[in-house]
Amino acid sequence: MAQTDERKAALDADFSELYRSHLRDVYSYLYYRVGNHHDAEDLTEQTFLQAYRHFERAQRESDGRPLRPWLIRIAHNLAANLYRDRSRRPQSRLEDDAPVATAHSTEELVNGRDELARVLEGVKQLPDDRREALIMRFALGMDNREIARALGRTDGATKVLIHRAIRQLSAIVAPAEERGDA
Amino acid sequence: MSGRESPGSPAGAAEVEGLLRRALAPVEPPEDLAARVRGTLQSIRETAAEELEGWELAAMRDPRNWVRPAVAVVGGAAAGAGLLLLGLHQRRRARARTLLERAEQTASDVAAGARKIFDPR
Repeated sequence: MAQTDERKAALDADFSELYRSHLRDVYSYLYYRVGNHHDAEDLTEQTFLQAYRHFERAQRESDGRPLRPWLIRIAHNLAANLYRDRSRRPQSRLEDDAPVATAHSTEELVNGRDELARVLEGVKQLPDDRREALIMRFALGMDNREIARALGRTDGATKVLIHRAIRQLSAIVAPAEERGDA
Repeated sequence: MSGRESPGSPAGAAEVEGLLRRALAPVEPPEDLAARVRGTLQSIRETAAEELEGWELAAMRDPRNWVRPAVAVVGGAAAGAGLLLLGLHQRRRARARTLLERAEQTASDVAAGARKIFDPR
């Protein structure tokens, strides 16, 4: 029993470390994914509760590899469930159009509001998998391998996904005359 | 975009990447969220510990739950005796080891078996 208690205490300590290290990652991912603080907070809490329930197994199976992709995968699934539930039971409009720029400083807003707003608007127009890959890369700083694990893809497919996402976004945010619309 | 690079060009893509880094800056979670998550996790741990303690005490008050430990003890003793006899038999045949060494080994085996039975997973 004493051994079990010690193991449990060690597990709790490891989980606390995981939580401290990745709270901001999970919150950032969910904020850019759902577009508002309220849902991002609720989903962040749910993500860590689910992670806690399955932490022992995840730690065992990870074999020392980073657990961040696993955490982000949980967050991704919870966000997908939120959208699915709300589309089944439409209540109030999802605050997806809320100004995502609330995450930025006043200086950034003054200097590059138009450009950043265009980029964020462009990100919202991308297909889900491309948008998520960009959030993981640029908001969380994840490398291709981590993103691949979080999305359940191969490293190669992830590299192509990100490349295409950036190319599509470039076309969306380019001025009309560059796209040949004028 | 500045309008100097075409969207498909490497320089255009690099420019978009720079904009993405600024646009998708990490977002600090609110202070109260960190406290909220910590509080919820703490209460889950406490509830789990209380439930386990309560379950263990309640379980041992119920005579139906004495069967498993009793079976384990009886089974362990029988196995020990069986192994001991086997050890004696083998000693006669092999004449390589002393009875004491066998008995010690047998006791150790029984203890290991008991640990397996009682160790909660």
